[in-house]
Amino acid sequence: MATSRKVTLLSSDGESFEVEQSVAVESITIKDSIEEGSAGNPIPVPKVNSKILAKVIEYCKKHVESAKAEDRVDDEDLVAWDADFVKVDQATLFDLIRAANFLNIKSLLDLTCQTVADMIKGKTPEEKRKTFTIRNDFTPEEEEEVRRENQWAFE
Amino acid sequence: MAFPELSEDEIAQIISLTTPQDACNMSAVSRHFKSIADSDSVWTKFLPSDCENLIPHISPKKSLYRHLCDHPVPINGRNVSLSLDKKSGQKCFTLGARDLTIAWGDNQNYWEWIATPESRFNEVAQLRSVWWFHIIGRIETSMLSSGTNYAAYLVYRFNGHRQGFDRPVKSHVCIGSEELDEGRSVTLDPREGEPRAVRERAHGWMEIEMGEFYNENGDDGTLVCSLREVVEYKRGLVVEGIELRPMY
Repeated sequence: MATSRKVTLLSSDGESFEVEQSVAVESITIKDSIEEGSAGNPIPVPKVNSKILAKVIEYCKKHVESAKAEDRVDDEDLVAWDADFVKVDQATLFDLIRAANFLNIKSLLDLTCQTVADMIKGKTPEEKRKTFTIRNDFTPEEEEEVRRENQWAFE
Repeated sequence: MAFPELSEDEIAQIISLTTPQDACNMSAVSRHFKSIADSDSVWTKFLPSDCENLIPHISPKKSLYRHLCDHPVPINGRNVSLSLDKKSGQKCFTLGARDLTIAWGDNQNYWEWIATPESRFNEVAQLRSVWWFHIIGRIETSMLSSGTNYAAYLVYRFNGHRQGFDRPVKSHVCIGSEELDEGRSVTLDPREGEPRAVRERAHGWMEIEMGEFYNENGDDGTLVCSLREVVEYKRGLVVEGIELRPMY
């Protein structure tokens, strides 16, 4: 397989992205459809808009390049790069989770899910609601019941 | 997109990357999050993989987790009990006295085996008198949780006739032979005014830390925890067992 083969990805809002095949196949979903011969050209990527697809491609490019690098010290740089990569607003972060799940890019899914998990950790229920703007739909009695049910975890 | 709009699987995956306490707090956020935070998808990840089906009739997994934190479970074929550390889900083990190697333990002149309602084990070891005091507990590191810092504790108390334990005893917690490890000195019954590393436990027992061990992958072989003092005349010690639990 020619390593410099390129494919074109088409976002849900009609924008085209030309990428190296080696980068595109970081997505198992895309890899499978290429191998099955069922991918068109361009390859449509429904559910992922251009803004998010651009970010996903940026992630895949960086990780493919790092894997080729001779210098193993790059591992720390990659971790730092990943940390910067996820410094985005919440809406983008959740869109990335959806995209990583749909495109089946495990490392991106792990990274984005862990980022949200870290935002959750250590917060009280009210703080968690505030962080993610979640509406409390419990009645006061229900909320008290839930707290009592879960008291054991804090004893 | 907002957090609640993710799929249940995605939300469950995120919550499973936090902690049991965080999952319990997530239950109190809203009805939608409660059903996900309480689900087996989340709590299966908090349970050690070899504990998932330990007690089949307890369901859901969140209840099993809670049960294992508060109710040590005997391990088949050994006088050893297993429980979970509440905060982390890491495994805790208590090696009962019958599971330990106690020098002269089979000789009624030196040690007796008694039943007591204050112990989870059928029998505890009661010292009549001995000079050669040497107790060893062994556990395979493959049984312990990986990536965990463990401390070993002797769980004990004294009956009315104690003697000889106000002097230090040599303690080792190491892989393989005790001779290969420097160990530390611990005093089970310090005199008044002396530093006291002994802690009270439930049901009249006490514990003292014997040493620490970091379990990386569980492939280091057998962990050996021992206490040894062979010079002083000693009486009156009652041993429930040796407990291993994560330390923070």
